[in-house]
Amino acid sequence: MLYVVLFFLIFSLYLYVVLGGADYGAGIVELFSSEENQKITKKTIYRVMGPVWEANHIWIIILIVILWIAFPAYYNILVVNLHIPLTIVLLGVTLRGVAFVFRHYDAVIDNSQKLYDAMFKISSLITPIFLGMVFGGLISGEIKLTEDVSSLTFYEVFVQPWFNIFSILVGLFFAALCAFLSSVLLIGESEEGKENIYIRKAAIATIVVFVTGLITFIYGYSNDYIFVEDFIKDAYAIVAMLISGLLLIPLWLAIKKGRRVLSRFFAGLQVFLILLAALISHFPNIIITETHSVSLLENIAPDSVINALGISLIIGGAVILPGLFHLLKSFKMIKILDRNNNPST
Amino acid sequence: MENLDAARLQMAFTLIFHIVFACIGMVMPFFMVVSHYKWLKTKDQLYLTLTKAWQKGVAIFFVTGAVSGTALSFELGLLWPEFMKHAGPIIGMPFSLEGAAFFVEAIALGFYLYGWNKLPEKFHWFTGVIIGLSGVASGILVVAANGWMNSPSGFDYIDGQFLNIDPVQAMLNPAWFTQALHMTLAAFTATGFAVAGIHAYQVYKGRRVALHTKAFKIAITFGAIAAILQPISGDISAKDIAERQPVKLAAMEAHYNTEKGAPLYIGGIVNPETQEVKYKIAIPGMLSFLAFGDFNAEVKGLNDFPEDERPNVPIVHYAFQTMIGIGSLLMLAGLLYFISLKKKKWLTKNKYWLFFVLLAPLGFIALEAGWIVTEVGRQPWIIHKIMRTKDAVTPMPGIVFSFYTYIVVYLTLSVAVTWLMIRQIRVLNANK
Repeated sequence: MLYVVLFFLIFSLYLYVVLGGADYGAGIVELFSSEENQKITKKTIYRVMGPVWEANHIWIIILIVILWIAFPAYYNILVVNLHIPLTIVLLGVTLRGVAFVFRHYDAVIDNSQKLYDAMFKISSLITPIFLGMVFGGLISGEIKLTEDVSSLTFYEVFVQPWFNIFSILVGLFFAALCAFLSSVLLIGESEEGKENIYIRKAAIATIVVFVTGLITFIYGYSNDYIFVEDFIKDAYAIVAMLISGLLLIPLWLAIKKGRRVLSRFFAGLQVFLILLAALISHFPNIIITETHSVSLLENIAPDSVINALGISLIIGGAVILPGLFHLLKSFKMIKILDRNNNPST
Repeated sequence: MENLDAARLQMAFTLIFHIVFACIGMVMPFFMVVSHYKWLKTKDQLYLTLTKAWQKGVAIFFVTGAVSGTALSFELGLLWPEFMKHAGPIIGMPFSLEGAAFFVEAIALGFYLYGWNKLPEKFHWFTGVIIGLSGVASGILVVAANGWMNSPSGFDYIDGQFLNIDPVQAMLNPAWFTQALHMTLAAFTATGFAVAGIHAYQVYKGRRVALHTKAFKIAITFGAIAAILQPISGDISAKDIAERQPVKLAAMEAHYNTEKGAPLYIGGIVNPETQEVKYKIAIPGMLSFLAFGDFNAEVKGLNDFPEDERPNVPIVHYAFQTMIGIGSLLMLAGLLYFISLKKKKWLTKNKYWLFFVLLAPLGFIALEAGWIVTEVGRQPWIIHKIMRTKDAVTPMPGIVFSFYTYIVVYLTLSVAVTWLMIRQIRVLNANK
């Protein structure tokens, strides 16, 4: 059952990164667009994301619930030492969700739209940066685990773990990844003749992902970050990263040929490989503190809890996944069955 | 402000906020599908207009409820890491099922909102029903987790360790049913009267009377039935608490000394120093009867419990009185509504509508008061008799700043959502 739980943990992490990420990315793409393109993007986002964005964000709740039920000790470090960035993420999620609804459901269209748009775009950028910083914080080796907090300053215990160059670089990398996912998605959803906006955005995002990723690595390596060193020594991680990089070639061929489904498939696969590479080299020691690594499997919940959780997840998954698939398909997010449909209808 | 106080206030504040949005998001879909059903049956255009107006309300409240709920799922750990470290695995079951129910709700909502003229008519309507049912299921599951804090079960507590954990027994703890029943009825009462009150105001002002009367009738029917059933559930809850958490019952009634044939206090000002309750109305033997079904039964007083195991008596007492007072009033208002169905003349009177306008906020006030009774009444424990709240709080200092941030953000959101609702109604009234 532990494997079922671990599967769902990584599965929901992956889906949150891909679906939630594309969702954040949509706001980032809108933020970095010209005024005219912003209007087009806003309309497209509403049409594409409207029916599904709420479902996309539930993955993070599933993720957090699995963490606290099955891996309480791990979760405890996360919520105590990374309290501040997580709170900022929450405020970002709140403002973003509310802004999305306000700008599409306000009965009167007036100047307040500008405020909603600004709220939506800015929180779309800040939230993934801080999410990335949380992940960066976990692996940065800056977390201090001590029973006696009083000998250390507030800054050392609660700020430094996430507020350091490495974590910030990871944050920027994740935001760029979101923008990349979203532009690839939007290419296939844009109105006739507007595809070029998103093709250009996808190209820029690809470069930013590559550059931020590379800087993170070089910085991490030259400053002896354990995570980066282990990563580079791990053959599987390196192979996964190389394949992910090489996939850019078929991805761009697919985009050029207008093969929407195929391009999304490649983008999703790339993110999967990046995630795999990040997890594999250090699994299950996903928290790296100043002195040692903490395993995800340390102080794990008792078998009775893991079994009950595994069963709930299997039942829940059996109910939710077909429904979710049907929802995505009905609103043409998955175009396997109806490729010839005109997206603007 | 101390860290513990700031953490408790932040938790209380976000919960108070979330409860309102969650209840509306959970109950309003039912109004919406009734109106939708009437549209499909009668093809009366007004019902379609109403369904679409309510659907926007559902969407706005669902999202605000969802994001404030996401915030809470993190806050549990951010503010009470010690609690979650031990309780998380034990009460994980209702939370994981709630996650699933919530997911189903979000999927159904996606279908419903965007399915007009795209999905088959009946299937489209049915997705609306699913929104409501999964919403209620989510609510019940979360309350079951709260029930566990009041009546911890499903584990053996040996030398400070939680052993032999049984997640199913923890979910089906002794308090889950009474609490879930009470809360579900409360949600229907509060939302029913609130929505009915808003539409009553429109009728009172003479705006689109035919439309708003239809809306009023649908909402108030749910609210009235729930309000009339609520005292039965309240009685079950009182007897349950008398058994399981006698100190909470004593605080609710500001009952200091153990006695047989204990009186029920209505109202009154509590002085915790002198242990006196002034200006109250006392009904002899009534508390014994309500708690144990016997006018002569012995009811334990607060002085029978160690001082450091008692909650704040005035807060719990006043909150309880508020809940009971409003609950009784709304039950009478519910009966009045059903009488008015026979006396059609009342519906033409402005006073009738004004009465329901004034009742609009009361259901939610009672509901919040009820939560204050159960949460403040459980103090100083976060897990009844197992873990104290002060031992669960985060070691991170400066929670007060996060508390202020939440106040600013949530108050702004409340103002914004209210403003948005006013604009919805204005546009609805303008589109004759």
